[in-house]
Amino acid sequence: MSWNKVAVVGAGLIKMGELFEQSYEQMAAGAFSAALVSVDKGLDKSAVDAVIVATQRGTLWGQEGIGGNTVPSAIGLSGVACTRVENACPSGSDAFRIGAMVVASGVHDVVLVIGVEKMRDKSTQEGLLARAAAGHPLYNRGETAPVLFAPFATRHMHEFGTTPEMLASVAVKNHHNGCLDPYAHFQSEVTVEQVLASPMVCSPLRLLDCCPQTDGAAAIILTSAQRAHEFTDKPVYVAGFGVATDHPYLHEKSTFVGLPATTLASGRAYEMAGVGPHDLDMAEVHDCFTITEILDIEDLGFVEKGKGGPASLEGETALDGRIPVNPSGGLLAKGHPIGATGIAQLTECWWQLREEAGQRQVAIRQGFALQHNVGGRGSGVSVVNILTRNA
Amino acid sequence: MTAPPVKPVAVLGVGAAAPSLRLAASDVGTAWGSGGGRGTVAVCDADEDTLTLAWQAANAALEAAGVTPAEVSGLWWGTARPPFAEGPSHAFLATTLGLDRTVAGGLSSGSPHAGMEALLGAWDALAAGHARVALVVTSDALVPGLGTTAETTTGAGAAAVVLGAIADSAEGPSTNGSSPAARLVARTTRAMPAVDRYRADGGGATGDVYDARLFREEVFVPLLTETGRALSQDAASPLAAWAIADPDGKLASAVAKRLGAPLASAPVYGALGDAGAASALLGLVQACAGTGSGATGSGATGSSATGSGATGLFGAIGYGGGRATAVLVDATRPVPGAVGVEQLGAGRRVGYPEALRARGQLEPMEDPIPMGLPPGGAAFVRGNPEMLGLFGARCRSCGTISTPPSIHPTCIGCGGDELEVVALARRGRVQTFVVNQTMPPPFQAPLPLVVIDLDDGARLMVQGSPADAADLAVGDTVTLSLRRYALERGIPVYGFKAFRVAGAGATVGSGQDRAAQEGGR
Repeated sequence: MSWNKVAVVGAGLIKMGELFEQSYEQMAAGAFSAALVSVDKGLDKSAVDAVIVATQRGTLWGQEGIGGNTVPSAIGLSGVACTRVENACPSGSDAFRIGAMVVASGVHDVVLVIGVEKMRDKSTQEGLLARAAAGHPLYNRGETAPVLFAPFATRHMHEFGTTPEMLASVAVKNHHNGCLDPYAHFQSEVTVEQVLASPMVCSPLRLLDCCPQTDGAAAIILTSAQRAHEFTDKPVYVAGFGVATDHPYLHEKSTFVGLPATTLASGRAYEMAGVGPHDLDMAEVHDCFTITEILDIEDLGFVEKGKGGPASLEGETALDGRIPVNPSGGLLAKGHPIGATGIAQLTECWWQLREEAGQRQVAIRQGFALQHNVGGRGSGVSVVNILTRNA
Repeated sequence: MTAPPVKPVAVLGVGAAAPSLRLAASDVGTAWGSGGGRGTVAVCDADEDTLTLAWQAANAALEAAGVTPAEVSGLWWGTARPPFAEGPSHAFLATTLGLDRTVAGGLSSGSPHAGMEALLGAWDALAAGHARVALVVTSDALVPGLGTTAETTTGAGAAAVVLGAIADSAEGPSTNGSSPAARLVARTTRAMPAVDRYRADGGGATGDVYDARLFREEVFVPLLTETGRALSQDAASPLAAWAIADPDGKLASAVAKRLGAPLASAPVYGALGDAGAASALLGLVQACAGTGSGATGSGATGSSATGSGATGLFGAIGYGGGRATAVLVDATRPVPGAVGVEQLGAGRRVGYPEALRARGQLEPMEDPIPMGLPPGGAAFVRGNPEMLGLFGARCRSCGTISTPPSIHPTCIGCGGDELEVVALARRGRVQTFVVNQTMPPPFQAPLPLVVIDLDDGARLMVQGSPADAADLAVGDTVTLSLRRYALERGIPVYGFKAFRVAGAGATVGSGQDRAAQEGGR
């Protein structure tokens, strides 16, 4: 595969949370500002010649008009080329991948990839999945978001002896990391005991096994590697990416102890980047539920299939572990504003590779970071992006 | 007026069903401060209704008769409470039973006499030669008015009978060449224009009788006694027992006493309460089972084992809306499928508020979350046959079954596009499951959602039974039964749910094998 090298020259996000006081448009403007400010040598916003917007639920959650025109107007770039990307929970990471391809193609020079999601303008029960009324009228009846992953926990426990404590250890770690991330929705520690004592939401997942409903926005500025040094002396490069799909419905899954789309997508990304799991310094992975992170670290090749639970419990994925996972706090603590999630994860990778992550900074030895999302009725599509600071 | 001679028809098999819940009459009395009420009545759970009960009883009867759905030439359904006051009730039931689209028959309603009207309609079609095998289903789940005495008597249940034509020549297919176990041999009807329990057009609940003693002395007892005596005159020998619809647990025995033969149907009222249109046939099934014979309200006697059925002449009298019909059954051998009501299960005992909620008489103020798709819309017009009939699409290349067919133009296994629609197995093993505890109305926790590896290799996810929530485990054997998934804008939506088979837990070679193979790819 031959493509022009692409660089990240700016990235930023707004503080995640229940942002009742901010509109969709205000969140978008806040994220764009944060990304502009982050550009070391400055970047006039008029340099942006294309925008890729990631918003997943806009048309369903009261933002019926969300499209290619909404964000440029809100961020003072009306007139610029803009396209909306929707690809389930990986919408943000796929928008990034598409933005990178746009730059790589040479069609556009400076591309803004921005993810925005308003989750809390409606009540927590009004969310599409919270209503348990989406999808097939029979085969998905009663299917709230935890139903999309809890069956994997049941089966993983059955086959590998994964325990509720192992699941809880993921929440404990990510909440701890969230305490060190000023952008995280939650900044409070939880204990294994607290996780195990929290209300059962959808067995075997308890409240603290689940990510919150979070408003948020994040933005990244991409340009070609040739032009990167106009904007920064510390660019981060796109090393590789991969996308893969699976059958959307749970009853169509070939396995309940893994997410094959993640394995396929990461395989493609590793091949493109010419690296393997052992070359990574850290990873931001999709931990919408604790079990999801356990599946992810197995399917991404960080640990053997079935060993995700013990690895989490033993701290292999902690900030100082063998492979730090979700130093930002992950979806569990930082939050999951769907369209913004992937871009916020990539922003964390950018900070980590530039060694600007403060108290949660992990050791950067080989210069590679991986970002991953999975979604689409749970696990119908997966996107993996790999960034590097190595020129 | 002289009635023309009656042409007998064969009884090939019978079946019965009861709903899941039981309500103590004393709980109703406590709620209203009246303190009264004896026994328990059967109540439909929120996902049961007359259609799901009919489906259960009809399947049992077809299985007992050894008749396949394809062999059924007509479906006659009698219920005072069809799921639609106007609408596709009959078409829905026929589809869930897998009957052919050409199936004849009809829906009788209007009063609890509807059960007998369905039976007579089927009988007439067989006698006329327009049908060879008829499926008669009677089911009911009356909704009593709050605070009426009917609340302590009104129950629910279903009974079904498979009837076959008795051919004039030897080529009659319906009895497999041998004489039938039983025949319907005589019938009679009497009418009286008297108002008793009724429900006006659009009414939700059924009103109670105006005056219980007036109803007993001037309507029920004289009319049924007259009808029963007329039937007795057609009998070649004295009747072994009567099965009589019973609105209150006392009226039937009053009639039986006057008719001079034992009341075999007393256990039906005792277990279920007044099952409305299903009462008479439930009583007849009970009489044929033999477990209640000779017991006039004193409980079941004798063996309860299936197949130890009774023989002899049995009279069944149905009543409703000022009409009574009596039929005479001549059972020369035990009738296949005849079970005592005690074998239908004891049900789950619930209190008065739970019963009201299950019957839809106690609803939260908050609007329930609507379904994503309207049940009258295109997705249901396309999908109803495959949802009600439980179909999958089998790949002609690799054999994988994709479910449901309408969203799978290609195979989920190999991508091939040569698919054939097949009926799915109704039994399988739990691959994995969850119990959802957090949902908005109209959902009620705990709600199991179960991924099942069906015996035919198809994989399916459906709702499970709340009653199984505590015990469900990977590898459990489950069967699929028809339930009502939703009542959406007044429209019932039906589909199959998984029920754990007690005592049939995981065995070696459960779903784990498949997962292990897949995990290894």
